[in-house]
Amino acid sequence: MARADRSMERGEAFDDTYVESQVILTAVRLVAPFALTYGLFLSLHGADTPGGSFQGGAIIGVTILMLAFAFGIEPTREWLRNSVVTGLVAGGVAIFIGVGLATMALGGAFLEYRLFETILGIPDGTKWGMEAIEVGGIALIVAGVFIGLFFATAAGLHREGEEA
Amino acid sequence: MTPLEGTLVVFVFVTAVATALFRDVLSAIIVFAAYSLGMAILYTVLLAPDVAMTEAAIGAGVTSILLLLTIAKTSRPASDDLFEEIHVPGLIAVSALALVLLTTVPDAPAVGDPAAPVWSNPDVTQYYIQHTYDDTGVQNAVTAVLAAYRGFDTFGEAVVVFAAGMATLLVLNREVFA
Repeated sequence: MARADRSMERGEAFDDTYVESQVILTAVRLVAPFALTYGLFLSLHGADTPGGSFQGGAIIGVTILMLAFAFGIEPTREWLRNSVVTGLVAGGVAIFIGVGLATMALGGAFLEYRLFETILGIPDGTKWGMEAIEVGGIALIVAGVFIGLFFATAAGLHREGEEA
Repeated sequence: MTPLEGTLVVFVFVTAVATALFRDVLSAIIVFAAYSLGMAILYTVLLAPDVAMTEAAIGAGVTSILLLLTIAKTSRPASDDLFEEIHVPGLIAVSALALVLLTTVPDAPAVGDPAAPVWSNPDVTQYYIQHTYDDTGVQNAVTAVLAAYRGFDTFGEAVVVFAAGMATLLVLNREVFA
């Protein structure tokens, strides 16, 4: 569907609350790269330092919310397609289940990571298995759900008779 | 209690009471974010950085944004009153509950007491502290407990977050997030 059509169908009342502010725009432009980097650091380095994918994923999600606050919710929604958000949320759950089922396929219990090391011969298999569900699972789910919650709440209740 | 801890406890207490009392919802949300930030610093001072990060990211960050977004879609009641009128029976009930809870505080072990059961018990805390690195190869015991020792529980939590997203779509009667 063409973008213009999409925005017309979703011409909901919230976008008139947007006020362009130089202060907020500049602040978000400065802070967003650092926030995203910090979120990625927490996710990727959570195994050895405080933090982890839940916090990291939340901060990655909040980076998108900051952009939406600075540049307006509707332009950010146009830029961020629904398939990206759905992909993050569903993909995260799929990766988490996938890692769990992989260890079962290797003859062990759900998430019995040490089999990656003993059977597949991956060095530090337990650690990498944990990283896979942390970074590939939880971080994606949390970031996706927060972004999704934000845009769904901003769009509000969808009444019967409107186009979805 | 150090002066820093004392200041933080007072700050958290004042912001919590202010959150309950402010009549204007926008003010209440902003004070509530300040409360979360105070709690996050307090957790850091008490050497619980993982909890502090969660409180700062979720409590002060995401919750505030979602609440602000929600009240942006409502109308603010016209009133010049700064504070909500205090509901006396409610105040009595809450004070009684707080008193009952506070009577348990003197029996709690001191902060950092090495003999406290939560720290010294050999089957849980000490087991994880001694075995985490050998068992899993990661240095953060909190991550090891969440992702390895209690991996299945964490899977349940992740699916709950997923289900929360789906439930929002259902409640809002939508089929797409963005």
